[in-house]
Amino acid sequence: MAILGVDVGGTFTDAVLLTAGNELRTAKVPTARRQEQSVVAAARAVAVTGVERFAHGTTVATNALLERKGAKTAFVATDGFEHLLHLRRQNRAQLYRPCADHPSPLVPLERCHGVRERVDPDGVVVPLELESLPEIDAEAIAVCLLFSFRDPSHEREVADELRRRLPGRRVVASHEIAPEFREYERASTTVIDAYLGPVAARYLEQLGAAARGAGLPEPLVMRSSGGVATLAEATAHPALALISGPAAGVAGARLLARMAGFEKAISFDMGGTSTDVCLIAGGRAELTSEREVGGFPLRLPMVDLHTVGAGGGSLVSVDPGGGVRVGPESAGADPGPACYGRGGRRPTVTDANLLLGRLPERLAGGLELDVAAALRAFEGLDPAAAIEIVNAEMLRALRVVSVERGHDPRDFALVAFGGAGPLHACALADELEIGTVLVPAAAGVLSALGLVASDERRDRVVSHVRPLREVDSLPREGTADLRYRGQSFELSIPIQDGLEEAFHRAHEERYGTSDRDREVELVAVRTAQTTPGPTIHLPPAGKPLHVGGPAVVELDGATCFVAPGWAGERDGVGTLVLTRA
Amino acid sequence: MNIELQVIGSSLRSITEEMGAVLIRSAFSANIKERRDCSTALFDARGRMIAQAEHIPVHLGALPDAVAAVRGHDPATDEIFILNDPYAGGTHLPDITLVSRTALGFAATRAHHADVGGPVPGSLPAGSTTLEDEGVVIPPTRLDEGVIDSLVAQMRNPGERRGDLRAQLAAHRLATRRVDELCAARGRPLVERAMDELHDYAERRVRAAISKLPDGRFEAADVLEAGEDDLVIRVAVEIRGETIEIDFTGTASQDTGNLNCPLAVTRSACYFVVRCLTDPDVPASGGAFAPVGVTAPTGCLVNAEAPAAVAAGNVETSSRIADVVLLAFGEAIDVPAQGQGTMNNVTLGNDRFTYYETIGGGQGACPDAHGPSAVHVAMSNTLSTPTEALELGYPLRVERHALRLGSAGRGRFRGGEGVVRELRALEACRLSVLSERRRHAPRGRAGGDQGEPGRNLLNGAELPAKTTAELGPGDVVRIETPGGGGYG
Repeated sequence: MAILGVDVGGTFTDAVLLTAGNELRTAKVPTARRQEQSVVAAARAVAVTGVERFAHGTTVATNALLERKGAKTAFVATDGFEHLLHLRRQNRAQLYRPCADHPSPLVPLERCHGVRERVDPDGVVVPLELESLPEIDAEAIAVCLLFSFRDPSHEREVADELRRRLPGRRVVASHEIAPEFREYERASTTVIDAYLGPVAARYLEQLGAAARGAGLPEPLVMRSSGGVATLAEATAHPALALISGPAAGVAGARLLARMAGFEKAISFDMGGTSTDVCLIAGGRAELTSEREVGGFPLRLPMVDLHTVGAGGGSLVSVDPGGGVRVGPESAGADPGPACYGRGGRRPTVTDANLLLGRLPERLAGGLELDVAAALRAFEGLDPAAAIEIVNAEMLRALRVVSVERGHDPRDFALVAFGGAGPLHACALADELEIGTVLVPAAAGVLSALGLVASDERRDRVVSHVRPLREVDSLPREGTADLRYRGQSFELSIPIQDGLEEAFHRAHEERYGTSDRDREVELVAVRTAQTTPGPTIHLPPAGKPLHVGGPAVVELDGATCFVAPGWAGERDGVGTLVLTRA
Repeated sequence: MNIELQVIGSSLRSITEEMGAVLIRSAFSANIKERRDCSTALFDARGRMIAQAEHIPVHLGALPDAVAAVRGHDPATDEIFILNDPYAGGTHLPDITLVSRTALGFAATRAHHADVGGPVPGSLPAGSTTLEDEGVVIPPTRLDEGVIDSLVAQMRNPGERRGDLRAQLAAHRLATRRVDELCAARGRPLVERAMDELHDYAERRVRAAISKLPDGRFEAADVLEAGEDDLVIRVAVEIRGETIEIDFTGTASQDTGNLNCPLAVTRSACYFVVRCLTDPDVPASGGAFAPVGVTAPTGCLVNAEAPAAVAAGNVETSSRIADVVLLAFGEAIDVPAQGQGTMNNVTLGNDRFTYYETIGGGQGACPDAHGPSAVHVAMSNTLSTPTEALELGYPLRVERHALRLGSAGRGRFRGGEGVVRELRALEACRLSVLSERRRHAPRGRAGGDQGEPGRNLLNGAELPAKTTAELGPGDVVRIETPGGGGYG
């Protein structure tokens, strides 16, 4: 069967098609303002017929959040707590800039309402008075009542009442999307989901129609957890797809690492303005449920990406103390790095790579690079210094996901992709003593490839917040979030026989101490129902190649710098497997 | 600047951040785990602070005194010292500091523990008159299991205290290991040079920024609310070239109550203001403060002598010092209006539990921006405790947590709004409140209005700014925090 993956990015939309005859076709088209048009254009560019599975990664939800183009949203909380979104957690945005503020909440004060009711840890304290719910004027409504993660009865009644009163409006209750403790973070998640609902629904409806028109099957949508869901599920809770694209990239890295024989890998996706790294252990991407998007906390299952605000387009500067800085400002796509010859004058990481001979003067795509312009931009600045500084930032991210979480990076392969990843990978692997660097042949469209083979996945979380020994039954598979009673942060332990002992050992490993006399508390149980994606075999890609560093290898949509001391060859599916000589 | 040294410097900063993450994630006190009232830092062999993970400004300039106090005892490698004595490297008693040797110098952690003994749960009594009234005083002491046992036995919830100390110890073990790894990877001499460079780099940046300020001597005064009386804090800020001298001559003598603070805390407040006005992004390193001198007469409110009580000094007096220093700078350059100027410390507890929190309020408006609402201003930046975390852990119910609308000072740019918070006791317990700006409102600037002063109420009846009371089940404490001043 033919399988199509289309990933929409900020600048380009990538398509990968694996045909029934096991031919792999890729295409890149510019991303249009209306994403569904780019999706169809990219699909046409790989000459699609007879597609049986179509998976899609989208940035519509993310863009709507970052650009504040979501629905007019209202918020309903327990009476006395209606300002929850505006109080946040009371810390200021910047320690030494008194008037720097957080992004303003997605719901203004006049649409934040209280309803009379109260539930405490032991149950209902004040009965629900539905008549205290005011008239609400909004396209979407988020409801988050105290302790609904434990007793959702009031919250459910309020949501039902709102759905009765306001048919056709989107109503999201916090226990439906993120039944986890800590009300601000749960409310924030619920509000994001409500706020994005109408926008995402419109887009997904248009996408469905466009796909039908192009003779494609109904799209599956990549979620932040690294698995796909149906169009209807994606429409119901768009907040679950906020890091859809990067999650697809991790799925691609995992796929190619596995094909090269590695169950343990670190995915290293360095693009133009930012870099995402993620640890893959036992053939699975690590997951988290704590992240901020656009300054708002999100408590939903997500691949555990660590993001750094630096990439190939990041600007290089010198600060008043004489330190070299890279980013967070970026030259972006326009004007881009100085060497692109589109009017950029300030030095970027890409210019530094060109000046160090790590980029050819003519890219595979045909773009001529202007060495003279790069030289001018770097006047008085050492390009090697810029690379060292940006590598130090990348290294920090790689250490956070490995060393700081108790994993020895020497046991892992580094999967480098994104436009700039393969330029920096060998140097980073040297620092971490990683023995193998994998550079996929499709380094420029890896997210779309990840979509092709993606699993279907539905995540579920059940909150407990009670002693582990009082819990009668646990599912056979999944993870348990455990902590010592009195702590606030949990360790996620795979459910197994002897779970309590496994927690003590994990605490010991992570913090160097454990206490078998202390009560262990079960905070939440996370399970996932997955349907494995299609088993695929990639055709051989690229000519056989043996390379020894230093060398520059051009790939589809990226350039790889093989550092001195590294050598490698292409494997059966075209992945460049580099090892330290 | 040498790039390799810069790269090593960033590794040193990462170590302090990782130490902080370990401490927060394995701690038991709500203060540490939910509110992040803790700091972690690395020092060189001469006791200079090289890098600090930044959680709380009031810890910023005060940790070097703790390391100096421990250096005097000439600790061996692998020895860890503990202290909280404000007159020997500490700030106020709940802040327990651990200092250990590393291959290249010292590591330090400071965390605000929920209780350190004494007559009042939470160890921040409103009416203390000597240090002994505020809990167990720990001079710099070699830490071992025996010492831990005997210390926690004198405090409430010894199991929780032990857990928090273990969390601090975990951060120190990590520091030792990471510093060793860094030395092995880069070579010890190079890492030592990088420490020097990190210190000097911060100093260069701050000197460059100070040189842009106008030279001159600028004075200001403001008051603290001690009972019925006011205590004056007077300051003269002298800017000359690349250096600043800050002198508190003329400040009231030390208080018979607990508004006193050691000079370490005073320095922190001064450094905070200098950093806001010069180079907010400078890395937190001792070099950043080398160009700033702070002096105060011995025995005055802001350079107190033993055995004066200090519970409110670290939280309240430090806030006012920041206000008054900012006012003095305001004679030289444009500065923000005054923020809430208090941390609104509330402690509830009995023999079974201790709960402590501080409450945000309005920030003063800036010359070009509104003041944020419901935040900690100046010396604190602790998070609020989630209602759900609070009620799962303590016999308390939050009845209301809201913006105090209308409390902000108006102006071309308005101040931030204060906060209203109501806590109901579900069992008999003791309340202790330490607050300021109940009589004297945060001032506006450049014609902006003042913010509303704060209020404390028990079952609707007004309480003083500093008070202790016995609560029965069902009693409700309501705190209304000050709004920030407006600008223009």
